[in-house]
Amino acid sequence: MSDAPAIVVDGLGKVFHSPAGLRDMLRGRLYGKPVTALHDVSFTVRPGEIACVMGPNGAGKSTLVRILGGLLLPSSGRAEVAGIDAGAGTSEFRRRVAFVVGDERSFHYRVTGRGNLHYFAALHGLPAGLARRRAGELLARVGLRDAADRRYQEYSRGMRQRLAIARGLLGDPQVLLLDEPTLGLDPKGARDLRAFLRDEIIRGAGRTAIVCSNDPTEARAMADRVLFLDVGRLQSEASPDRIEAELGL
Amino acid sequence: MSAAVRAPLPWFLRVLVAFVRRELAAVGGYRVAFVIRLFGFGLAVGSLLFLSRFVGAAVNPHLALYRGNYLGFVVIGFLGTDFQQVGVSVLAQRIRMAQVMGTLEAEVATPAPPWMVLGSPPVYEFVIAALRSAAYLIGAKLLLGLDLSHANWLSLLVAVPLIIAAFSGLGLLAAATTMLVRRLNPVAMVIGSLSFFLSGVMYPVTVLPGWLRAIGRLLPLTHALALLRGALLVGAGPGELRTSLLALLVFAGLLAPVGAGMFAFALRRARSDGSLSHY
Repeated sequence: MSDAPAIVVDGLGKVFHSPAGLRDMLRGRLYGKPVTALHDVSFTVRPGEIACVMGPNGAGKSTLVRILGGLLLPSSGRAEVAGIDAGAGTSEFRRRVAFVVGDERSFHYRVTGRGNLHYFAALHGLPAGLARRRAGELLARVGLRDAADRRYQEYSRGMRQRLAIARGLLGDPQVLLLDEPTLGLDPKGARDLRAFLRDEIIRGAGRTAIVCSNDPTEARAMADRVLFLDVGRLQSEASPDRIEAELGL
Repeated sequence: MSAAVRAPLPWFLRVLVAFVRRELAAVGGYRVAFVIRLFGFGLAVGSLLFLSRFVGAAVNPHLALYRGNYLGFVVIGFLGTDFQQVGVSVLAQRIRMAQVMGTLEAEVATPAPPWMVLGSPPVYEFVIAALRSAAYLIGAKLLLGLDLSHANWLSLLVAVPLIIAAFSGLGLLAAATTMLVRRLNPVAMVIGSLSFFLSGVMYPVTVLPGWLRAIGRLLPLTHALALLRGALLVGAGPGELRTSLLALLVFAGLLAPVGAGMFAFALRRARSDGSLSHY
């Protein structure tokens, strides 16, 4: 494994400009008041490391992970993931980096789990036969073999999270970006999914991962290192056993 | 080596096949909507029969070019409008739905380039529109007595790709505008209304005053309908239709690159303001 960092974040900043309201437009402004979501964030992640980004709601975690996934362009600074500039938006970048969208809306509701995966496998460029095999393997791996031919709308929250993980693994990525992967799951389901992600999906395959969460249990269970983000700034970093002390709990 | 190895389809075709499979799988859940859509289109064409009986009975000098065939005239006007609607609306609709449903972000996070992610729906819908048009022409011929005996199929073959290219250019512009202004497709609304008024959908453009006819010539549908009617009703060859063919070639040549450029800009803006995942 190379010594070069798998993720380099250098002076990253993001400012959102909301659309102008009537009052702004009357004053000749095209945009509303700017909102700073990230300010001068810098850190690196080693290959094979699991870094957890913690912070309260609105801290900038989702903005950060979306920039790292190439889905959002930074306003300043740069982010390099798996050796490629995240802002470049190349196909090769998206092959190496998987952004696991836990958003329930990101699948077609009326199509089966298997059908959804087949569609995304085609977007990964897999030929039909290979796509079928890979989807079958991944569905079995995330524990959805028996539910593969049920419509997505019939899936429980945990099953939907598992399907999102299976989708993230279609291209066999080097880096996984997980935004609150166990959000809304019951405690046992969340514990099992964390162990599965950590032991099989990330460590077992030698991958690097960033996990965004505001749950100390999740960070302790998964991370090698925890980065604390608040109001868009990186406040500190610590080992998982220092989480409570850092958060003042 | 004895066993023949089947080469995989090109990437875009794989995406297209997967998209069509997913759509067909989803259609199972939208059976009623699908039947209502078919039924509505059938009723609309049926109503044209009675309109044509009402209008076509009179000897009308404006229809002389089309051998007085008002049924053919208006059915083609209707199908041409349907094609334009598909071209101008599908991509914008697809993006809007994907933003609302939340699938767009997950799709553009895959290695497939954006044009491949978003290119399947228009191709699929154009094929469906072509099949629908063929079905209605055959239905109108068999059931309503539509006269297609003079049709020049070679002209039709030359015209259709140009019509699709011009409407697709408009579609890219419409999709880009929808992404930028985050409102219901303003381009489709303006182009749709103007075209219905000025392109000769229900009546020949010869009934319009000269200055309105001049504006109408700036709309791709005007030339598309002239081509379709010239090919199907008059039996004109590609040489006789060269003015309209050239006009559509210019539209396609201008609209496609401008639309693609504007769409790339809109996509970058969406990546900048974070609107890939919401509408």
